[in-house]
Amino acid sequence: MKISTGPRLGLYLLLTPLLLTLALLILFPHLEMLNISLRERISYGVYKFSLTNYGEFFTEPLYWITFVRTAWMSILTTVITLLIAFPVAWYIAKVARGKTKGMLFLACLIPFWVSELVRTYGWMILLRETGVVSNFLQWLGLVDGPVEMLYNDVTVMVGLVYTSMLFMVVPLITTLDGLDDSMVEAAYDLGGNGWNALWEVIVPYAMPGIVSGCIVVFMLTLGNYLTPTLLGGKDSLWFTEQIFTQFITRFNWEQGAAFGVLLLILSSLIVWLGLKLSGQSFRDTMSR
Amino acid sequence: MSSEIDLRATNLCKNFDNFEAVKDVNFSIPRGSFFSILGPSGCGKTTLLRMLAGFLEPTSGEIEIKGRSMLGIPPNKRPVNMVFQHLALFPMMTVAENIAYGLKRRKMKKPEITKRVESALERIGLPDVGNRSISQLSGGQKQRIAIARCLVLEPDVLLLDEPLGALDLKLREHMKIELKKLQQAFDTTFIYITHDQSEAMVMSDTVAVMNEGRFEQVGAPQDLYYHPQTPFVAGFVGESNRFSGSVVNREGETVEVITESGQRFVAREKFDKKLNSEEQVDLFVRPEMIHLSYEKGDKSDNNLSGQVENILFDGGNSRLLIREQVTGAELQVVLPQTQAFSRVKGGDELHLCWNAEQSHVYRSGLAS
Repeated sequence: MKISTGPRLGLYLLLTPLLLTLALLILFPHLEMLNISLRERISYGVYKFSLTNYGEFFTEPLYWITFVRTAWMSILTTVITLLIAFPVAWYIAKVARGKTKGMLFLACLIPFWVSELVRTYGWMILLRETGVVSNFLQWLGLVDGPVEMLYNDVTVMVGLVYTSMLFMVVPLITTLDGLDDSMVEAAYDLGGNGWNALWEVIVPYAMPGIVSGCIVVFMLTLGNYLTPTLLGGKDSLWFTEQIFTQFITRFNWEQGAAFGVLLLILSSLIVWLGLKLSGQSFRDTMSR
Repeated sequence: MSSEIDLRATNLCKNFDNFEAVKDVNFSIPRGSFFSILGPSGCGKTTLLRMLAGFLEPTSGEIEIKGRSMLGIPPNKRPVNMVFQHLALFPMMTVAENIAYGLKRRKMKKPEITKRVESALERIGLPDVGNRSISQLSGGQKQRIAIARCLVLEPDVLLLDEPLGALDLKLREHMKIELKKLQQAFDTTFIYITHDQSEAMVMSDTVAVMNEGRFEQVGAPQDLYYHPQTPFVAGFVGESNRFSGSVVNREGETVEVITESGQRFVAREKFDKKLNSEEQVDLFVRPEMIHLSYEKGDKSDNNLSGQVENILFDGGNSRLLIREQVTGAELQVVLPQTQAFSRVKGGDELHLCWNAEQSHVYRSGLAS
């Protein structure tokens, strides 16, 4: 008996830190969030079960419009990031050799040595009314007065794509590295053109990398707070801002918790849908 | 086999910067034959094959397939297909999709594609694997699928880039025969490159031995083995004992050579004629051409005695390492698996002999 329980006890002991982390930092807060979101404060310290907080979300247009807008812009950011990152990853994985390869990869990594806050302020220095780009355009004589390039959707998008780049490039490089060059040659040799090689061979081969990159970028973008707030200003209407407002400004934890739960459902739903559409399983994607 | 020429290369050259990878290669391959290019790694054979496939443009020279020039024609427009060294099967497609890939590119109708894929699978003897994924196949099955993927397109020429290299010995032996059968069944011209002489000899109608970008000799496997024209071919095809020495005497076509270690051998001139006295030569004797005996004989042109230094046991391919008594030079001799030699052991004294025409002698310094 001792022999058979011995290793099992050891396994549990080894698993304890992991299980504790999962339970205390992820499972417990989310359950508590769900709990808070499902109650209504009647008077001081007295609560009852209610769905009012969720009802509020659907009846107040500002809330669900922000919600849909956030989801839509996150999807768009993911797609744009993919379109830019794919050629970059292809170049680093397949074209560049030796030292250049390492240098280029490092170049992708370097911006992430400073915090996201600092990077976003960097964008503000460039794009604000009295910023570098505005001054340069005036100096060239292309515009008459100062141009404000902050606080619009395009700028928010640029910021989000910039922030997400690395998280798309890394999984793509990893999968494309494994693609045997002769497979691309075979695609040509058997009568295909460049288009066939890309869509029949390269993209299907890179699919696990594409999907895992997209999931990470989408989640990060959806949950981003800094970039939309700083680059989009007051009108950026990002759903995380709504959550922040409910929790901090209005001190309405019940409403904020309901929004948090909704955001979790939304991201899970879209990721699930993306996996279904691309025909990938979550396990395969994550094991890459 | 008709005498029609499927592929012809004339004065083919390829330079990379200052390095000449392929130097002035000429050959023509009749329809339906199995042509091998045999050479050590780095001899330019892969470069040559990639030029035929269209992945590289020759620096100069001409490639014609069925009389049509292939210069400037991209790989997807050439009537040649290639089986890659690591096969390059598409792992995200099923077996049937892999074979259908090329047919789809020709805008063939779906029912027709299905029919052809089925018949191709049938012909390679794997009729039920169509729905499997590539990772579920064994090494030998993958080989056959890779070949079927090309042959279903009915190319004029099939190029094979050492596809058996990754297989284990038993399977490789089996696939050699399999490939030869496939080639005969499909009646397609095969060009096979390899560094393994046994693969080249077993399968081919014609073998070209390539060294440092040039064809040293082109001929039937028997020719290369019995009548090597250059010292490189003599050394590369089959095993050989090699001696360097100089000519001391000649009588008609028979020359007497004294080696660096002082052995005297008699050999007959074959390709390098009129070897003069004092001329430096290389002399080759195959281990399987040397006759072994316990008793001393003097009927042959070359007679030696020596002691067994080592037995290199390798089943039917076993050798004896024999140290010659007088000069102390080493020779490899095939150990016959007959009763007489079953009890040979280290230190035994044996007598070796062979005739003048069983060795090859070349002027040295022409090629390495």
